Amino acid sequence: MRRSIAQRFLQALIVLVGVVLLTFVMLRVVPGNPIETMMGEHADAATVARMTAELGLDQPMHRQFLRYLSSALRGDFGTSYSLGKPVSLLLKSAFRNTLYLALFAALFAWILGVACGLVCAVSKNRLPDRLFLGFSLLGISLPVFMAAMFLQYVLAFKLKWFPISGTDSWRGFVLPAAALGWNSAGQVAQMTRTSLLETLQEDYIETARAKGLGRFGVLVRHALRNAMLPVLTLMAIQFSGLLSGAVITETVFSINGVGRLMVQAISGRDIPLLQGTSLLATSVVILGSLLADCLYSVLDPRIRKEG
Amino acid sequence: MKRILALLLTVALLPCFPAFADSAEPGLLRTAVLYDISTMDVTETTDDYLIPMNVFDRLFETRPAGGSSEIVKSLVTDYSVSEDGLTYDFTLRGGVVFSNGSALTASDVQYSFERLLKAARENTEIPLEIVGGEAVMNGEADVLEGFRVTDDTHFSVTLASPNAGFLAELSAPAMSIVDAETMADVKAFGKEPADTVGTGPYRVTEWVSNDHYTLVYNEKYWGAEPSVKKLIVKTIPDAMSQNLMFQNGELDIIDLQSQDSAVVASTYKADPSARIVSTPNVGMIYLIMNENTPWLRDVRVRKAIGMAIDRDQIIQGVFMGDAVKENGVIPNGVWGHNDALEGFAFDPDGARALLREAGCKDGEIRFELSMDSTANTSTQLIYAFISDSLRRIGIEATVVSYDHSSWLAKRSSGEMDSFVARWGMDYNDPANIMYTFFGSAESTKARSINYSDADVIARVAAARAIADDAARMSEYQALEKKLIADDAAWIPFCVGLHLWCLGDRVESFTPQWAGFADFYAADVVLR
Amino acid sequence: MPPGKRRKTEETADLRLQSQLCEEERFWDLMRRMARENRTAVLSFILIVLVVLASLLAPVLTPYDENGMDLMHRLSPPSQDHLLGTDEGGRDELTRLLYGARVSLLIGVVPALLSLILGSALGVIAGYRGGLADAVIMRAADVTLAFPSMLLAMVIMYSLGGGIVNVFLTLTLVNWANVARVVRSRTLALKSSEFVEAARVIGVPEGRIMRRHILPNCLPTLLVLFTLNIPASILTESSLSFLGLGIQPPNASWGLMINTGRQYLYSAPWLCFAPGAAIMLIVLAFNFLGNGLLDVLDPRQRKQ
Repeated sequence: MRRSIAQRFLQALIVLVGVVLLTFVMLRVVPGNPIETMMGEHADAATVARMTAELGLDQPMHRQFLRYLSSALRGDFGTSYSLGKPVSLLLKSAFRNTLYLALFAALFAWILGVACGLVCAVSKNRLPDRLFLGFSLLGISLPVFMAAMFLQYVLAFKLKWFPISGTDSWRGFVLPAAALGWNSAGQVAQMTRTSLLETLQEDYIETARAKGLGRFGVLVRHALRNAMLPVLTLMAIQFSGLLSGAVITETVFSINGVGRLMVQAISGRDIPLLQGTSLLATSVVILGSLLADCLYSVLDPRIRKEG
Repeated sequence: MKRILALLLTVALLPCFPAFADSAEPGLLRTAVLYDISTMDVTETTDDYLIPMNVFDRLFETRPAGGSSEIVKSLVTDYSVSEDGLTYDFTLRGGVVFSNGSALTASDVQYSFERLLKAARENTEIPLEIVGGEAVMNGEADVLEGFRVTDDTHFSVTLASPNAGFLAELSAPAMSIVDAETMADVKAFGKEPADTVGTGPYRVTEWVSNDHYTLVYNEKYWGAEPSVKKLIVKTIPDAMSQNLMFQNGELDIIDLQSQDSAVVASTYKADPSARIVSTPNVGMIYLIMNENTPWLRDVRVRKAIGMAIDRDQIIQGVFMGDAVKENGVIPNGVWGHNDALEGFAFDPDGARALLREAGCKDGEIRFELSMDSTANTSTQLIYAFISDSLRRIGIEATVVSYDHSSWLAKRSSGEMDSFVARWGMDYNDPANIMYTFFGSAESTKARSINYSDADVIARVAAARAIADDAARMSEYQALEKKLIADDAAWIPFCVGLHLWCLGDRVESFTPQWAGFADFYAADVVLR
Repeated sequence: MPPGKRRKTEETADLRLQSQLCEEERFWDLMRRMARENRTAVLSFILIVLVVLASLLAPVLTPYDENGMDLMHRLSPPSQDHLLGTDEGGRDELTRLLYGARVSLLIGVVPALLSLILGSALGVIAGYRGGLADAVIMRAADVTLAFPSMLLAMVIMYSLGGGIVNVFLTLTLVNWANVARVVRSRTLALKSSEFVEAARVIGVPEGRIMRRHILPNCLPTLLVLFTLNIPASILTESSLSFLGLGIQPPNASWGLMINTGRQYLYSAPWLCFAPGAAIMLIVLAFNFLGNGLLDVLDPRQRKQ
């Protein structure tokens, strides 16, 4: 098992370097000199030349890449063109918000999804099952921005339960997290239902039931625990989806997060900021899937034996 | 079963969930902007003036006075002008200190002017008028030759040529005074709040990019203590959120320029309890066309374009009546504005006839209307409306949107076909608009995309030096007629009113005179 | 081996293959089964057809011009003249919705098709060739999948700039990796199957094996992927346009209509609700149809 984890780790590292390379190349095939764009109407040839040299943009591409890689390793991602501050500083305050948002959303999705899935499985093919299943499909098909706008309008504006925007207290995170978690909740619900129904047919459940455990006890103590494994993996995959959705929720609720920073970077043609944000987001996803793999191999006895 | 009961009970109790109440401390003013500032330093921006206006002082300030404005003394207590109009002697206000305790002296003023030139980025136009300005900017001289410091509170400034609007120019946010001694110590002036030290009524305590910044009252301020003790400016890029936040009491004052006029009309004006404050948005919304582009270099085509656009529809439709029609170059509310001018009358048939006269067929003229993607809704609507109006007379004008920096780069290259923009006046003098757009071959390249009449350009440049105000205004007005009626150098549309809505916690607010959107927090009185 | 004989053996291999393939008749049988058993999928299919027809017939269905502005009648509420009211420029909202359907559907279908072609080509090569080709292609897929899809789309849109063709390219580049993974694993399974072994033994060239023997066997899976990729593309595009990074005005897609309608949520809610409901319905319909196809074409995968 240790070997497979090491292998997995190496693979993740290769992917990470690939990600840096990809963003690096992609952002540099853009026509036009970024310095000229950045300076706007005040670009005179001498200043452009000086700044190009300062940022090392006149060197060959591979040299630039190595330079970027080495300073990135030291935590230096350059200075944002459009916000005029070090990218690492901007990322620090934004990442905190995005992380909270994603974690709250995951929690929301997990609780709601598992609860719905449970109800569905228990009342298989009866009315509650149909109802919740339809509900979860609605969750999957509802664009994040519609959910976000709806929640903001009804719960924050009409009912005034939560602020329209702001991250000063936990209250500000509730609606964005719910909007963001909505999609995943639908998928978690479906997954919980399917895997619960499967587990309920296994032999040991019959045994437990024969031993006189109540229906609810069997469900929670035995079936749910074993059915959680695929759901956990799903959540790890979902985390990447949550980061995608965070761009939208952060925009609707005006939260200073990594996603909105990225939107800002794009509208300001701000290469260092765009590179920094995408690198951070992908690292989190890679780390997340690595963790999920490790977790899975620890939790699932079958895999443990094989390793 | 118990669990289900508990669940039902929770659902039933949800409506009793306490409503969110944002408690605002006394003396706090909360407002929002659509875009975060990029700097607090005027050598780097011509847009982000809110912090410079409130944290720094200038030698003079422009204050509103019955629909127009007057120049009042600020850091200066006395001044005189020499007879040739070249040399100004100033007396500095005594006992003024910066928020870090350092004293204000005449050499700080000199340092501030020289700094603009040495940075050589934004806002160099005004100090360049001083003798030796060019040399400092090029790095040939270290000291501004035309600036003489007599003692700590007395200094004189000598201009290269007379400029009757010089005092007005000194009131522009660009001419903010910084402290020479502090600047020597700090590393991140304009970026780091603690390093950004001024003499104004407020100091910056916090700036979280893309989130908010905070100003608090500067206890060492020399003037009267303002009612607002703390100002929080949130970056809310979404107009709808600003609207909802204001209505829910999360903001105390909203700049309605962020909203479409139709929303203002249906949401704010329809509400009799809404307190709306308005001021003319001194400036001009115009369409400008590149004279190097085929067809657009033909004055008949430019005039036809002017005649094809119904400006009343823009005023009544886009701005819901909250706008004033503009017919020339010098806007309403600026000295020298000419009420008697008549702009292009809406006449699509006449426009078509002119196009035929110019020898072009339907669909033959194609050009690009280049739009800055950060343009607000009104401007976006005007773009779409122009495109639609021109289609009706057989001109294909396509709106293409560029991100802000690409748009600026394309504009300064002089290769943009046409664009719509709003020019806001920085100070009350026609030179601010005439000279900027038509005053030199270099600025016409980007500002009026290659306006070509060299004679007119020379006359605009010369007009600045006419010492007699009446003579200067009549020269400007003559040039204005030539530019619009004869050359159709640009198509003036109108200018919208600048509206604010006050929240329950605000007692009153006097907006300042200017074309830029920012305001003095000291002009707000809280309840 | 004389050329004539080679031809012959190859034909026998093809014959043997056909018995294992999901033949055309069997395919239609399955479709009929789905139509009988899965009413939701049928309804979804009808809805999709109706939307396609409505968008194609837009010029006949509505008297208004898609871009014809009327500044004097901005944001007017739904009425007899304008069933869904007018937008911020006084344009008929229903007309915009119908023309916007063209863009949104095109954005669903074209990238789904392109990513299918790209993904299955690369997937089959990776699976069949193995070795270096496999390693390179799959690491590239890993890199693509490491990006949250929205962020990758944003980075690519940044490099390419806005506009419909670039949205096609972007969504293709975002979606190919998933297809490649699925096709690769199918290929690995098929590679060791009897009929592919047989074809290889008698010397059928690699390219031909991939084209004629492996890919056709992936078709049912690909059809399902295609159907499910369409709503995913529509959603990604609507998110991009919601941020102002996708389709550029004056073209209208449903996502862009929501983006501009958003600031009128309070004064003219129909500007958001109409395109929002449209997106939801079409996405739901494609998802139902995709799940229906999954049930009959690939029940094994459905269970997983």
